[in-house]
Amino acid sequence: MKVVCYLAHCLLNANAKVDEGARCPGVFSPLVSLLRERGATLRQMPCPELAFGGTRRFWAVREQYDTPAYRAHCRRLAAPVAMQIAADLAAGARVVIVGVDGSPSLGVELTAASDEWGGRPDKPRDEDYPVTPGAGIFTETLLQLVGERVDVTVVGIGHDLLDYDEARELAKVRGVVGDAG
Amino acid sequence: MRGDVRSRRIAVVPDAVLNPPEGGDDRLASLADAGWGVVGLCPADLVPDARAAWLEAVVEQVVTFLDDGYEVALVDDGDAETLRFTAALAETGRFVDSVLTA
Repeated sequence: MKVVCYLAHCLLNANAKVDEGARCPGVFSPLVSLLRERGATLRQMPCPELAFGGTRRFWAVREQYDTPAYRAHCRRLAAPVAMQIAADLAAGARVVIVGVDGSPSLGVELTAASDEWGGRPDKPRDEDYPVTPGAGIFTETLLQLVGERVDVTVVGIGHDLLDYDEARELAKVRGVVGDAG
Repeated sequence: MRGDVRSRRIAVVPDAVLNPPEGGDDRLASLADAGWGVVGLCPADLVPDARAAWLEAVVEQVVTFLDDGYEVALVDDGDAETLRFTAALAETGRFVDSVLTA
């Protein structure tokens, strides 16, 4: 069965990451290599934070992005992605959405949320980044548009986690994509 | 604070770079090795109804990088999607002059 992977934008372009968040110069090559080995089709999703807050944005939590305007922005960006996912499924493919765990927008199993964050940007990213269970706003929006499908799997690469472990994160993807093959 | 190793260099690439034909060169790997991040243009098999919105999102992101002083280059295969992108970008008053031969 053909596997189509929808990748968070920054997994192919770390320049889109929030300031101080880029773990590689550009392409996250270990992930691409893994997906290439499995013959997966790659599709790059847009980065909603980049288009909304630019490259100089501060790191933020879900609550700071969770406004009607940002949700509308996510819906606009997610709509063509959802349409293509529907087409891929109709063509018999299995779809894997690869997000970024810890992200307020592209988180899958883990996002960043806090009632305390806001105002003056004095929060050090590497000390108390408030990772919590749950999906990011864009992931949530996209999955709402796609609907509940057993042939759509979501997995997150923990680039935004302070205890990031590359081998562990790639193993998660390998398990999902491997199973799909 | 942890380090940030972004390259500040972005290549706008046709779908054939993300998904090379069987037996074709892996230009994405070459770009990655050289430190480029990539913005992929519309997938070759994109459903027609999604094309305009997908392209709009790509243009918005490239404009953001250009306006913030990032280096942006084009991998131009002379394909229709690249032509559509350059035309849409020109409508914003921005241009990508640098062409990579990846």
